[in-house]
Amino acid sequence: MISLCDIAKIFNAGKTNEFSALHNVSLNLRMRETIVLKGPSGSGKTTLLGLVGCMARPTTGRIFLNDREITSLPERFLTEIRRSTFGFIFQQFNLIKGISALENVMIPAYPTGEKNSLLRKRGLEKLEMFDLGKRANTRIEFLSGGEAQRVAIARALINNPAIIIADEPTAHLDSKLSNEFMEIMKDLKAAGTTIILASHDPIVYNSALADQVVEMRDGQVVKDGRL
Amino acid sequence: MAAIEHHRHILDFTLSSLLRRKGKNAALLSVYTLIIFILASVLFFTHALKREAALVLKEAPEIIVQRTLTGRYQPIPTAWGDKIREINGVISVRPRLWGYQYDNVYQANYTLTVPAGNPPEPGSIDIGSGISRMRAAHPDDIIAFTGHDGLPRTFIIRNILDNESQLLTSDLIVLSEKDYRDFSGIPAEQATDLALRVRNPREYTTIAEKITQMYPETRPIVRTEIQRTYDAVFGWRSGLLIVIFSAAALAFVIFAWDKATGLSAEERREIGILKAVGWETSDILLMKFWEGTVVSLTSFLVGTILAYVHVFLTSAALFAPVLKGWSTLYPTFRLTPFIDFGQMATLFFLTVVPYTVTTIVPSWRAATIDPDAVMR
Ligand SMILES: Nc1ncnc2c1ncn2[C@@H]1O[C@H](COP(=O)(O)OP(=O)(O)OP(=O)(O)O)[C@@H](O)[C@H]1O
Ligand SMILES: [Mg+2]
Repeated sequence: MISLCDIAKIFNAGKTNEFSALHNVSLNLRMRETIVLKGPSGSGKTTLLGLVGCMARPTTGRIFLNDREITSLPERFLTEIRRSTFGFIFQQFNLIKGISALENVMIPAYPTGEKNSLLRKRGLEKLEMFDLGKRANTRIEFLSGGEAQRVAIARALINNPAIIIADEPTAHLDSKLSNEFMEIMKDLKAAGTTIILASHDPIVYNSALADQVVEMRDGQVVKDGRL
Repeated sequence: MAAIEHHRHILDFTLSSLLRRKGKNAALLSVYTLIIFILASVLFFTHALKREAALVLKEAPEIIVQRTLTGRYQPIPTAWGDKIREINGVISVRPRLWGYQYDNVYQANYTLTVPAGNPPEPGSIDIGSGISRMRAAHPDDIIAFTGHDGLPRTFIIRNILDNESQLLTSDLIVLSEKDYRDFSGIPAEQATDLALRVRNPREYTTIAEKITQMYPETRPIVRTEIQRTYDAVFGWRSGLLIVIFSAAALAFVIFAWDKATGLSAEERREIGILKAVGWETSDILLMKFWEGTVVSLTSFLVGTILAYVHVFLTSAALFAPVLKGWSTLYPTFRLTPFIDFGQMATLFFLTVVPYTVTTIVPSWRAATIDPDAVMR
């Protein structure tokens, strides 16, 4: 269970450009389920995913991951949790330019010290899942938007995470690729993976996969429905 | 096993990181190498010069007595030496035969000398390595030199001199007394100057005074004066080099400072991404450590090797303007290769270490912030 208790996130607190991106957010997300976040642009979806994924800390409120309070953990524990628990698919991809698609996919596994040949093989497998086997050695900046998005997804899966956080994972994919993505999510769900998605895409939020749909507006949860 | 593999991954990633910013890193490496090259050249050069000077002085006699007539140099009668030896405190007096000879054909200056012990047989000579190189002459070859009367004389080469100090021997011709007198026209019973050994350094001045009283035509030169002359010559040259050295050192500081303060937006973003996907702060620091080490070690090694070649194999060609007077006097002069490891270690710790630190510190700052904040 992931529990968020009365979360608020204020950017640039105390400055003239202070902005309250989230307030009064309380949520319970169950493990092994698929949760979809929806809401208009600027409503705070990405901010919320960042907090859940240990990329940032809330200004106030507390977050529990399987009864463990993570809000106040020191940075090195958060790093450890990010690596061992989460696979994060960023809205802006956040791939590293100048190196190949395959290397990008392998990067999260470097600190595990896995043998290079095995890691390569696994990275290639992930790329092939998304029909990118042929682009493995292409540098990121030469990939199309949809290809880059799929590399970002493959990277999130490399450490076989227990929880996948996907921020607009289908924004750059056509409907065929979007459906393929959802098929892969379905397999992962069947294997017991928790999936948290933020999306504008009906293919995602109308999918039969979703167990819980959370609707957001102006930094608040306006609807939290189990299906 | 996993730890080794872990390091290997990070080193691999560092290298591909460096390669992907080829232009920027190539520029960085060249500037760095150039600075190290200048610093190391100056260090090698001043050190080698000082060493040469020390060797010259070690062999210099305590007092040299010359004869001058209305300010012009004259050969000195050897009989005067016998009288000078009777002065209290003088241990020995040796009449010396030596001089310079300008070679029109090769436009070179030679130093001719008759050694105190083990002179060559008449008809054979020893030559310095500079002359050997220039004239392509080797032991047992026959070599000709033009004497004071413009007529050539031939000699058989006995040895090539290979002394500790190139400054002393590079342009040297060692010959027998008979050949020297014939070559230079100095008559028997006369010498170029007299070299004195004196028991007590405090007596130098009184002995020098007694000699001038005895022979008003003489000019005694005391070792401390010689030392001063050398110090002036070497000091002036080192002084100029110190200016070059400081300029290069300053350039290095500015260069390192720039690194320390500037982490490009792209670099910050990458650190954020690496943290976000699960890299530890220590992994990022390790990567930056490798980055700094690879760049600075490469520059250090290449820069020092180039400086060595420059100073000892091309006779510090780039410092030629500073050494103008020198090169006419010693046309084929080469410094004896010599590296002071203490000095190299100092240079290493003053360049490689600060550079690596300035690579790590700003990254460390970026790596300890929440990844979310760094990525934006
Ligand atoms: N670091 C930041 N500093 C200041 N404001 C921020 C920061 N991050 C986000 N915001 C603001 O917080 C609000 C919520 O942003 P967020 O990215 O969470 O929205 P979103 O729901 O993901 O929108 P979209 O659907 O367009 O992706 C936005 O108005 C954004 O401008
Ligand atoms: Mg968003």
